[in-house]
Amino acid sequence: MKRETRLFGTIDIDDDKIIHFEDGIIGFPFMKDFTLIKDEEDSESFIMWLQSMDEVQFAMPVVEPLRVLDSYNPTINDDLLTSIGITEANTFCLVTITVPPEIEKLTVNLKAPIIINTDNNKACQIIVEDDLEIKYPIYDLLRKED
Amino acid sequence: MLALTRKKGESIVLGNDIELVILDIRGDQVKVGISAPKNVPVYRKEIYLQIQEENKAAGDIGNLEALKKLL
Repeated sequence: MKRETRLFGTIDIDDDKIIHFEDGIIGFPFMKDFTLIKDEEDSESFIMWLQSMDEVQFAMPVVEPLRVLDSYNPTINDDLLTSIGITEANTFCLVTITVPPEIEKLTVNLKAPIIINTDNNKACQIIVEDDLEIKYPIYDLLRKED
Repeated sequence: MLALTRKKGESIVLGNDIELVILDIRGDQVKVGISAPKNVPVYRKEIYLQIQEENKAAGDIGNLEALKKLL
């Protein structure tokens, strides 16, 4: 599947690399197919990109939440995951990163993680009940790692 | 939008498996009970809108150069 993307130019993604969100992402039900892109020039970087295959202009930076908050362990209602067929062994969790014009205000959204079943590449985004921040600041944390 | 008037204790049924019950009414607050299949997510709208806004913001990378420098 070829796409002309804003950030990565032309990409050609095999069908088995398509991550399918049956209900889309929250607020954007029409965005169902994504692919996960890693920056190969910088293998140190732990940021990945969830590139929409439906909206080529749209890509969200994402990170594994434990990289930014080692105590992250929200209560996830398994019933919300039945449509993607999750068992603990095949779960992969990501949170989105928001990059505002002022980079010092860089945040991650801990309230609405994305859960991917790596066996079948089905995914969903859920809102957890835990008292977690939608805008959790990470700029200082990333600077310290330099 | 369909508008229905309900009293305390009355319900609205959506499809075959979702029921909304008016549990209590006090002043300008209404307590609603929701019976839905467990795989149907139920959101408070203000939270839903905040997440929608955050997803949109995550896709509008405001400062890609600064992000690359930081990494």
